[in-house]
Amino acid sequence: MLGGLNTRVMMEYLPEIWQGFLATLFLSTVGFVGAMALGVLACALTIQPLRWLRAPAVIYVDTIRATPLLAQLYFLYFGLPRLGIVLPEMLIGIIALSLNSGAYMAEIIRSGILSIPRGQVEAGMSTGLSYMQRMRLIVLPQALRTTVSPLIGQAIVLVKDSSLLSLISVVELTRAGQRIAIDRFMPVEGLVATALGYLMLYYALKSAAGAWQARNSIPGRG
Amino acid sequence: MVWFYLERIFGYWPVLLKGMGMTIGLSLLSLVIGVVIGFGFGIIRAGHNRWLSRVLGLYIDFFRGTPFLVQVFIAFFILPVIGIELSAFAAGVVALSNMAACFIGEIVAAGLKAVPSGQSEAAIASGMTRAQQMRLVVMPQAVRIITPSLVGQFVLLIKDSSVVSAIGLLDLTRAGWLIVQSVPNGLLVFGIVGLGYFIICYPLIHLSRRLERRSQAAFL
Amino acid sequence: MIEFSGVNKWFGSLHVLQDISLTVAKGEVVVVCGPSGSGKSTLIRCINGLEPFESGRLLVDGTDLSNRKALLKLRSEVGFVFQSFNLYPHKTALENVTLAPIHVRRLGRAQAEERGRALLEKVGLADKMGSYPHQLSGGQQQRVAIARSLCMQPKIMLFDEPTSALDPEMINEVLDVMVGLAREGMTMMVVTHEMGFARKVADRVIFMDRGAIVETAPPERFFTAPAHARTRDFLSKILQH
Repeated sequence: MLGGLNTRVMMEYLPEIWQGFLATLFLSTVGFVGAMALGVLACALTIQPLRWLRAPAVIYVDTIRATPLLAQLYFLYFGLPRLGIVLPEMLIGIIALSLNSGAYMAEIIRSGILSIPRGQVEAGMSTGLSYMQRMRLIVLPQALRTTVSPLIGQAIVLVKDSSLLSLISVVELTRAGQRIAIDRFMPVEGLVATALGYLMLYYALKSAAGAWQARNSIPGRG
Repeated sequence: MVWFYLERIFGYWPVLLKGMGMTIGLSLLSLVIGVVIGFGFGIIRAGHNRWLSRVLGLYIDFFRGTPFLVQVFIAFFILPVIGIELSAFAAGVVALSNMAACFIGEIVAAGLKAVPSGQSEAAIASGMTRAQQMRLVVMPQAVRIITPSLVGQFVLLIKDSSVVSAIGLLDLTRAGWLIVQSVPNGLLVFGIVGLGYFIICYPLIHLSRRLERRSQAAFL
Repeated sequence: MIEFSGVNKWFGSLHVLQDISLTVAKGEVVVVCGPSGSGKSTLIRCINGLEPFESGRLLVDGTDLSNRKALLKLRSEVGFVFQSFNLYPHKTALENVTLAPIHVRRLGRAQAEERGRALLEKVGLADKMGSYPHQLSGGQQQRVAIARSLCMQPKIMLFDEPTSALDPEMINEVLDVMVGLAREGMTMMVVTHEMGFARKVADRVIFMDRGAIVETAPPERFFTAPAHARTRDFLSKILQH
């Protein structure tokens, strides 16, 4: 099957594929930063004691986790104009990606904080550290180490999820690959080029997670 | 105003119902196939045949590393090129159960490796064959460890099934997409679509969390 | 019953078993002791094929350990008790005991359970048949593990530091079971530092250090007049309290 690949056409479309690749990289990066901000905020709200502040964060996280990204994307894409908010597709896509991944990141950060054994906090208390000192010096440094790998995992999900933006006609890697398929009736060439682009990002992120894990895992604890 | 739109949307209830049925049917069918193949993948991945495990690892990486939308296109547009003509439904089932098998395979492999080596040693010491060790001692414990993740994976599978709407399969998301063409209120239409998914997924998310808490308690 | 001749084993460049030659006769009780890393656990793990070795010959009940085909049958006739019990957490005490008899020995369920109940009674756990391992104390778990091995009606019982993971007050309940077994004439090889046990029932005590057998002696001579300086040094360390 690969023997029959028309590499000449693939080379011809290489600039467009490259543009699409960069667009995917851009969408994912901006989406990741937005998701991180939302995730930290939602996590902070869920672990603090005030109920009326906790409720909206919990509803946000649960709603996002129980519905598909594509439905969320269409909700914004077909819904925002209804509220008189007209935004470029790309921005809608970034908002949807951030909202979606933010909920998962909130959960990741939360379980990282909860994974710190109670004894660690008690040790901090017994040596007279304040709440903020315990958080800053003991809990967060340990929580951060355990959350980096799952956060990179979420970044992988985000890169792949960004392909759905092609369905609201944002031009990124998947859309660029479809160009070859549609212009030249060569779906195989288009999809192979697209898949290769995603696999590069996947392996880069996967090996980054592996390298981090190897260097920074807390001895005696995963 | 809202009532006006709601009434019009509910005029489409047969489409919504059909879409919901498709989402549930597609997910369930793919889950069953995905679990069966996924356990096979997991046993190979955790097994002693290094070479086989690596080759399968590459295959699994391909489907864990590419977007599901691309995989749906592959099933729908590329398989015909090599002579496998599939209906949209069949292509959806193939893509969805294949991806589920890849993710479940890695979960199962991790679960098998998480069973302490002393367990299989005890089984070996009593003269069990490899198949008996797996069936009687290791697999039952691995299944307990991974059940919460498996339920979580099922939630992901239901949500990912929305992507097959891209090849025209009439699932819940596609139903919303069709309705919004004639009832121009995206917030309401996709709010209802979202509610449909929420009703299916939320109990499963809860179940997964409960199982996780219980299994942590049981193994401490 | 057990016959090592010139057995060698390496972990990478580490020579963990050096030219081991040793014979254990039927009905003999042999205690193996030595500092950690001396190869004593590796030694008894070789006997039922849990550890492969590089050179030499090991005969167990007339079966050559290099014969991989006979290994399964051999293992079903050699009981092994682990330091960390390794009970199956998803099975009750009785199910732990009857699992291998049913599936390896192809014993009927009723017969296996009858045998299992008798053995659990024998180790003093008649009231714990339906308990899961996590509901039992360490001492109780280890007694279940012993019953589990006995239920296969083994010709040889191997113990790998069976009391090291136990709280002090539970050690005797396990040792009592082992003493009873020794008095019934079971062939036993026991890796342990419980010198009281060795004095009471061992026919011979073996001292290992750095992968080699340094000294073999009957217990009274081993404790009162050890021949080697390293043995004396080791004994002074574990007996001084």
